[in-house]
Amino acid sequence: MATDRLLTILMLLAKRERSHPKAGSLCSVAAEFTNLTGAGVALLSSGQQYTSVCTSNAVSRKLMELEIAVGEGPCVDACFSDFAIDESDLATNLERRWMAYSPMASVAGAHAVFAYPVRIGAIRLGALSFYRDVPGPLSASQSADAYLMASVIGRAILSMQAGAPRDTLAAELEREVTFDFSVHQAAGMIAVQGSMSVGNALVALRAHAFATNASLSELALRVVIREVSFDPRTGAWREESGNSYE
Amino acid sequence: MSRESLLIATLVELADNLVDDFDVIDVLSLLSLRCVDAVDVDAAGVMLASPGGELQVVASSSESMRVLELFQIQANEGPCVDCYVDGRAIINHSLKDPDDRWPQFSPRALAHGFHSVHCLPMRLRGRTIGALNLFRTARGMLSDDDVVVAQGLADVATIAILQHRTSLDAATLNNQLSNALNSRIIIEQAKGMVAQANNFGMDHAFELLRSHARNHNLGLTSLARSIVEGTLSGRELDEPPKSKVR
Repeated sequence: MATDRLLTILMLLAKRERSHPKAGSLCSVAAEFTNLTGAGVALLSSGQQYTSVCTSNAVSRKLMELEIAVGEGPCVDACFSDFAIDESDLATNLERRWMAYSPMASVAGAHAVFAYPVRIGAIRLGALSFYRDVPGPLSASQSADAYLMASVIGRAILSMQAGAPRDTLAAELEREVTFDFSVHQAAGMIAVQGSMSVGNALVALRAHAFATNASLSELALRVVIREVSFDPRTGAWREESGNSYE
Repeated sequence: MSRESLLIATLVELADNLVDDFDVIDVLSLLSLRCVDAVDVDAAGVMLASPGGELQVVASSSESMRVLELFQIQANEGPCVDCYVDGRAIINHSLKDPDDRWPQFSPRALAHGFHSVHCLPMRLRGRTIGALNLFRTARGMLSDDDVVVAQGLADVATIAILQHRTSLDAATLNNQLSNALNSRIIIEQAKGMVAQANNFGMDHAFELLRSHARNHNLGLTSLARSIVEGTLSGRELDEPPKSKVR
């Protein structure tokens, strides 16, 4: 019964909030509740920027970064759709979806991926995605559980925002979830280094991360600490030995 | 109005505010039942403060009039009122007759066969919004383990209320969230640009943005947006005064 399952979710959340107040419990609870290997949540900003909110393990984090880097995948699709996305056998990929994402996601350890829009009624916040380390479809009850979890996550995130002053991200959200702002800091730096727009700098960062098989956030951090920079004259990326700065 | 009609009216009023698939009364009723199973008590109810500050029962483990009457009396006097006002649990209070503390409540509770009463605060963002009210017929005290479980259930009830309240305001909250997220992204991008342009670290860059915004009476987000859009260069910002008194 749905109420029973909902109460279970709320109990899992309460349990985690007591013991791990900074852990970004939404994703961990999502994975535990649906009995899937990992989960991730993404939000859409008003500029239609797609931002990772939390991931429940290292592979989920990798998958989320991959989607942001290549701009395609189940979470991206679910963000912009009204229905669930499901690929129960990523390696086989019968429907020929996500030609950049799929092989790399398989290599990372995802054999099935599922994603659900995070909404309250018609209001769209983002998406909840799952992966499983073996192929196979979701059972009917897993699917119902995933929908329910998406609904709870939507409300939980909004409730965290409810206490914040206007135009400010709630402190609770910053504490509880793991937005990766270093990517945007790095984009700002690259924009000035390369005399390009921030939008293009983001694209350049993603492309370089993808080309060097590095995670986007690792690359961004290296840019921020000035180990990596962009040389506009050669159009090449440079490794520095460590500059000083004020 | 009879006590029963009053209770039903309250529930109906709350039910009118329920949105889509989330039935908060259902969840809280189930929680109250669970409470009686999980903790060594005989009746449980969730009390919420009305805007006027009176406590009202919104869900109960029992429909018996003897139980409901005891909730009703606690609108203005009783352990839950004290718990709500102080924000602290009231545990293992033995009822006695007469009782200076609760002259109306205690004799009635004893008359209905209860020997002790317990109230756990429901706290949200530093405020108490209500209480989980427990009644026990057996003599003796609740164990420490039971108290921990009971507080945990009170926390779950709080999350359920929060989920419900959030769905009432979802559109507004989501706009605020997606705008706040967008503003935050722009600020991080501007930080990167300013850091690069001036060869500063991120903290120094942020300080520069903030003090320039203050000096020119600009919103931080709108200043950041000018930097990112290129209408203002990171090198044109006012350097904050060197000797800053914090």
